Amino acid sequence: MYTLGIDIGSASSKVVILKDGRDIVAEEVVQFGTGSSGPDRVLHQAFTKSGLTFDDMAKVVATGYGRFSVEQAQKQISEISCHAKGIFFLVPTARTIIDIGGQDAKAIKLDKRGMVSQFFMNDKCAAGTGRFLEVMSRVLEVPLDKMAEYDSKASEVVSVSSTCTVFAESEVISHLSNNVPKENIIAGVHASVASKACGLAYRTGLEEDIVMSGGVAQNEGVVRAISKELQKKVIVAPHPQVVGALGAALFAYDEAKKVQ
Amino acid sequence: MSEVEGMTAKQKLVYYQDKMYKDALEGKAKGELVCWSSSIAPCEFCETMGIHMIYPENHAAAVGAKHGALAMIEIAERRGYSLDICSYARINLAYMDLLVEEAKTGVTPKELEECPGPRIPLPDVIITCNNICNTLLKWYENLAVELNIPYIIIDVPYVHHWPIPEYTKEYIADQFEYAIKQLEDLCGKPFDRQKFIEVQEQCQRSVDAWDRAMGKACIVPSPLNGFDMFNFMALIVCARAKYAAEDTFNTLADELQAKADRGEDAFKGGEKFRIAWEGIACWPYLSHTYKSLKSLGCNMVGSTYPGAWSIHYTVGNMKEMGAAYCKMYSNTELAHKVDVITDVLTSTSSTGITYHLNRSCKLMSFLNVETAEIVKERTGVPYVSFDGDQTDPRNFSPAQFDTRVEALAEIMEENKNK
Amino acid sequence: MSKVETIVANFKAIASNPKKAIADAQAKTGKPAVGVLPVYTPEEIIYAAGALPVGCWGKATKTISKARTYLPAFACSIMQSIMEMELEGVYDDLKAVVVSSPCDTLKCMGQKWKGKCPVIQFVHPQNRGLASANTFLVEEYKLVRQRLEEALGVKITDEAINEAIEVYNENRQATRKFLEVAASYPQIITPVVRHAIMKSRFFMDKKDHTAAIKELTAELEAMPVEAWNGKKVILTGITAEPDEFLEILEEFGLAVVADDLAQESRQVRVDVPDGDEDPLMRLAKQWQNMYGCSLATDRDKKRIPMLVEMVEKYGADALIYCQMKFCDPEEFDYPLLYTQLENKDIRNLMIEIDQQANSLEQIRTRVQSFAEMM
Repeated sequence: MYTLGIDIGSASSKVVILKDGRDIVAEEVVQFGTGSSGPDRVLHQAFTKSGLTFDDMAKVVATGYGRFSVEQAQKQISEISCHAKGIFFLVPTARTIIDIGGQDAKAIKLDKRGMVSQFFMNDKCAAGTGRFLEVMSRVLEVPLDKMAEYDSKASEVVSVSSTCTVFAESEVISHLSNNVPKENIIAGVHASVASKACGLAYRTGLEEDIVMSGGVAQNEGVVRAISKELQKKVIVAPHPQVVGALGAALFAYDEAKKVQ
Repeated sequence: MSEVEGMTAKQKLVYYQDKMYKDALEGKAKGELVCWSSSIAPCEFCETMGIHMIYPENHAAAVGAKHGALAMIEIAERRGYSLDICSYARINLAYMDLLVEEAKTGVTPKELEECPGPRIPLPDVIITCNNICNTLLKWYENLAVELNIPYIIIDVPYVHHWPIPEYTKEYIADQFEYAIKQLEDLCGKPFDRQKFIEVQEQCQRSVDAWDRAMGKACIVPSPLNGFDMFNFMALIVCARAKYAAEDTFNTLADELQAKADRGEDAFKGGEKFRIAWEGIACWPYLSHTYKSLKSLGCNMVGSTYPGAWSIHYTVGNMKEMGAAYCKMYSNTELAHKVDVITDVLTSTSSTGITYHLNRSCKLMSFLNVETAEIVKERTGVPYVSFDGDQTDPRNFSPAQFDTRVEALAEIMEENKNK
Repeated sequence: MSKVETIVANFKAIASNPKKAIADAQAKTGKPAVGVLPVYTPEEIIYAAGALPVGCWGKATKTISKARTYLPAFACSIMQSIMEMELEGVYDDLKAVVVSSPCDTLKCMGQKWKGKCPVIQFVHPQNRGLASANTFLVEEYKLVRQRLEEALGVKITDEAINEAIEVYNENRQATRKFLEVAASYPQIITPVVRHAIMKSRFFMDKKDHTAAIKELTAELEAMPVEAWNGKKVILTGITAEPDEFLEILEEFGLAVVADDLAQESRQVRVDVPDGDEDPLMRLAKQWQNMYGCSLATDRDKKRIPMLVEMVEKYGADALIYCQMKFCDPEEFDYPLLYTQLENKDIRNLMIEIDQQANSLEQIRTRVQSFAEMM
């Protein structure tokens, strides 16, 4: 039996197709989010690569900001629950999840059964999210996927403390004009994202294991900064970007079993 | 007082401040009482009762100036305090949490150990006066509930129509009596009215000395730079009821006068412009803001701070004392606020003014647009506004500040040449 | 349409179109309108002047542009939208507007009124236990009375104030009774309906509101109570607007069984005490007796045990903290309440409330996740 989970975020669309609630047969990511061609494209890719079609899917569950725009989905479930489900499937020892996506950062506390017992999300401002990193990557003229590499070569972490993204931008610019190495500034940018995320994470009580997911988890620099700030080991979830879609596919599997 | 003999005003400032923190810590260890107080609350009552005073706003500013704010702020945010709350309050509430943790576990938390500000003891009683803002009422309410200790409130209702009405003075005077009763219950001893008179007399002498020293900023060119004023302010807050304040400010006034007599100014002859600064300092960027202004030849000579602690009343007159604590310009209607700031500009011969749009302080920010416009209309003095925060280093942009004050200097230059 | 549906539809119409509702009420009663800004105002004095007190609590889904000149972004959204409407002349038909000063933002708002009508500012005492606080407030109320007399060209007698107190006490009692009954009928009194009924108080003559709410209560009581399959929540905060937020609650099967919102239950929590004394003193004592509000200083913060008791009393599954963005009195209460709720294993969720909501998607995610948790 196949089930499909689709996670439509603000900046990207993700799909996971699951066989028997156990094996990932397709996982696809397209860097366009809700309101764009992203959702259709990511579905198309997943079906093309797996050789499957919608008709093969026993159930479809949607999550993410665009979850209500997916006509094919039988159910919509919030990304908090989906991330919890996905992470618990991948890392059963997880008790705390830090998820940083395009416009949201969340910290989720899990109980032993993998159920959500409390969660916190960032306020409206972009600081501490993927969007913040995007802005900084543009200012620094360093591609997003190279940020971690730069960070690893930093000789020190300069302070980028402004809460406001606009102020932080001017802070970074002034570091640049003072000839501070980009490596050190990027380490500072990562520390700034980490500090915002940790502000949420601390409130969960920080039970281990701590697992990170979301697109930003692919950035080792941020992961390192979070681990340093929390003084704890941080595990990066396998397939961090598709954890939400995986959770949705798992929920879809549960639904499908209910019907049987 | 032999230890302070021959000391400069700056040395006295450091000496007395350290001594007060030390006395409070040692006193606490011996079982003496400690009170946490807002910075312009009446200190006369606790002083009469021999209670050690600690001023959280001052303490938070010191932590901020020594770059320890962020660590505290992060602790407050972990507790669930919104980052939109006054940063003084966040620092203090976090500090309180750490002190409580230390008292409970016997282990000093790392963040407390590393906090660069002076160590302060936990309070046995707190007193607040909302002449600064109503935010203080909530902040101290939280302290009172978390620590389960007596909470003295001196409510000086917002003066929406100047002058202060008689019935407001009567209400405040009655609260003074209630505060005395709360203290008598706490201390288990009667309030010594004779000593109270002596304390009031000391306060008046301290305030006179403060006025005298701060008045030197009116001399052109000024022997005092306003950022020193920010520093000396600590003592009028913390030691108004003590000889320490009177002594230090008299020394300072003499030093400044001597300097002026020698024809020297605070910038060694570099005073090009005289400006006023409206609002609280940006403590974590004190040095940046000072240097930025200095590089333009701007001496900040005008501030509403001197007036804030110019708390005069007839000794023994409770209603007058109430009015003196009520009249803080931010606690009064817009028209009176404008009068106060206009007076600052004219008395100090300032030709420019900066308004600090302070993320932490709604009361000292939300009337800025109106105030600035009316003051400008009345005096012709140009103004600039900049975004900042008293102690949260994340809400200030040095580049923005520099651009704004440069623009102000250019306008002042142009006005000069007119 | 059933009778209940008709009454509910009427309340909804009033709450969704205050301008028309006020015009209708004025046409019916011939009364001039006087604006009342949040949070607490002795409306009885206005009512006694023969005027119609009208609540000014901002407007949902309003974009802010003109107000940006006068208010920085860190002022709460109610005041942003009030300022916007001041500048647009929305309040210019009012004969006066009364502004209390319980928080730093309102102190300033009373000083920077941009509308055409006169503004009457007053201040509540915060050392509330003292007799002298009541005496002080009586003097403030005398000023309000005098300035209203000037603005309206009438004399406000003690007798008229006493009568107004009767009208208002009756309305408060009837509203409280309704809320008690409504908790058992979440299928009919949905979160949106409940809010409309509470909000319409601000735009109706209180006598009319009382009559309508009594009728509705009686109709409800005559109906069988049906089992509720969803969850029950209690709302606390300043407001729970916009309606879209309440619709999200409905969407995920959450019923509002009680509230501690400044715009709703706090308005009717405490009656004006009986007594033969000066009616202004009776009104002053109402403020002294007020409890459980972030804007009324309380050395013991009894709001926290009050909310815990409410959760138990109504068998609520959870409490939702409706945090008005940039409202510091509420922001200070939250961490202490949160700690207590966690200690008592009471499920709770904080939602940031912004009238100019542009992030409803995040609210939807939070509410859905929360519902899934329960």
